[in-house]
Amino acid sequence: MILWRKQAGVAALVLMLFFATARCGMASGLIDAVGIENQYANIIHQIGGNFVSVTAIITNPNTDPHTFEVSPKIVSKITSASLIVENGLGYDAWANKIIEAAPSRRRRIVNVQHLLGFPNSAPNPHFWYDPKAIPVVAKAIAHDLATLDPAHAAYFDERWHRFDDSLQAWTAAITSFKTRYPDTPVAVTEPVADYMLQALGTIIETPFTLQLAIMNGTDPSPQDIAAENALLREHKVKAFVYNRQVMTPLTESFLNTAKKNGVPVVAVYETMPTPGYDFQSWMLAEIHALTKAVAMGTSTESLLPASAPPPTGRLF
Amino acid sequence: MAMFSPAIFITTAGFFHNSAVHVALAIGGSAAVVSAIVGVFTVLRAQSFAGHALADISSAGGSAALLFGLPPLVGFLAMAMLAAGGMEVVGARQIRERDLVSGVVLGAGLGLTALFLYLDISMTTASNAANMVMFGSMFTIAPETMIPALWVAVLALVMCVLLYRPLLLIAIDPDLATIRGLNVRLIGLLYLLTLSIAVALSAMTIGAILSTALLIGPAAAAIRWSCRPGPAIIIASVIAISATWGGIFLAYDSFYWTRNHGWPVSFFIVTIIFLAYLASGRTTALARLRRAITA
Repeated sequence: MILWRKQAGVAALVLMLFFATARCGMASGLIDAVGIENQYANIIHQIGGNFVSVTAIITNPNTDPHTFEVSPKIVSKITSASLIVENGLGYDAWANKIIEAAPSRRRRIVNVQHLLGFPNSAPNPHFWYDPKAIPVVAKAIAHDLATLDPAHAAYFDERWHRFDDSLQAWTAAITSFKTRYPDTPVAVTEPVADYMLQALGTIIETPFTLQLAIMNGTDPSPQDIAAENALLREHKVKAFVYNRQVMTPLTESFLNTAKKNGVPVVAVYETMPTPGYDFQSWMLAEIHALTKAVAMGTSTESLLPASAPPPTGRLF
Repeated sequence: MAMFSPAIFITTAGFFHNSAVHVALAIGGSAAVVSAIVGVFTVLRAQSFAGHALADISSAGGSAALLFGLPPLVGFLAMAMLAAGGMEVVGARQIRERDLVSGVVLGAGLGLTALFLYLDISMTTASNAANMVMFGSMFTIAPETMIPALWVAVLALVMCVLLYRPLLLIAIDPDLATIRGLNVRLIGLLYLLTLSIAVALSAMTIGAILSTALLIGPAAAAIRWSCRPGPAIIIASVIAISATWGGIFLAYDSFYWTRNHGWPVSFFIVTIIFLAYLASGRTTALARLRRAITA
């Protein structure tokens, strides 16, 4: 982890807050909202519609959100917002520090971890892949928007119902996959899509300690590396589901092993890929990609058109 | 080493069949031998700090390689050689001044590392960059790196053989060496380049910050044990190899006593080297070694 470095950065930024003016409110009659992760920002936008101005902080699909670096501009954006949706569970701990450093009584905060009741010891912070979690998050957002702008409560309520209904396509796709391909064994690189893979009824064969090591950037054990390679070489899994926002020499070697052995690969994203997707179509695209892999052995290495940066996400 | 008790061996089923272990044993072993041999000269020439500086500076190359999508070995090696060339150009002969120059260059080098690691983490998907470059991640080295790394190690060993006599003579008496017609400066540069190779290899395996341990530790312990350069080199190699392979073995084994997490290899290697140094006693063999060569 590079937590210490990030903490030092946050401490410096918190200091700067003393000199910044905290402007909470609705300058232009719109609710100023921030989704720390762009998938949450997208949900705010879908519910808030014309009466909300939404900013997404983590948007780059070519880097790892776990290692996000904060800038002073982002700090003022967050502190001046009246609705903030953050993921919690250490995923965006820096945002929490910024919020705590500039208290405001008017501001509404949706902390997804606390909303869902996950303890701080929970191992997997990627809640947005959990089909049970998103309706709860959407409801909380709708409630907070109505509190901030009661005059448009009916508008928010109507749009929230529309969003909630639209999630049925997602749950239907999950149910259909689960019944058509029960107990599908898969290998992963890290727990990013684990909540959805579990909902899909797949069996995640990759040791969880390896997933944690890759997610946290620590040294993986050779036993776990051998286990993952064996899954791919001996065709014990139907698909290799990898997080294309966290590619290390190790995950690249797994990806190559999968391809060499004819195991279909499926790229999943940690933040919502843009442009071209909203939250629902993104989730459906991920399920579609997994279905193609399991049913036809077709790989999906990107959900974005070819003009997007290469899969490794390298700078040059 | 006493760690190799048969009881532990039995619990590590699969050790010799694990491909990640194979790569670690090969690259780690070659880094250990090269570092140990070059290390003996480094200690004799009192250039430990220069060795440490080269290692730290090489981290800028390692982190830049991740950014540009190059093999880490290329990055470490290029940066270490560049820094070695720079040190030679500055060419400070007095040890105190040499340390000052090394220290200043080291600071600038690590500054570059900070920049490249920031770019790695914020602009690419290599989120484990800091850990990998600074502290090493032996089991995740790409198998394709093995052959080039072994060739580079062989090159360093050949250089060591060619430089053996002249380096010893210069280490004892640079003026005498000059009188005998040796190009002290050229040999110094060749030595620094060999040192760069040693440093790059070990930076790639146990990390840029820790690679000094592999360079200086076994050599320092060996020189306490033997007062002749030949045996000192052999003892240093044995210590380095035992520490590296023993460390890989213990890291593998730690999987079973840390509930399947495993501890970092680099920690074990550096710890074994430290213990070997402690065990090497308090003889001031360095002075005796110098005397023995001149005799």
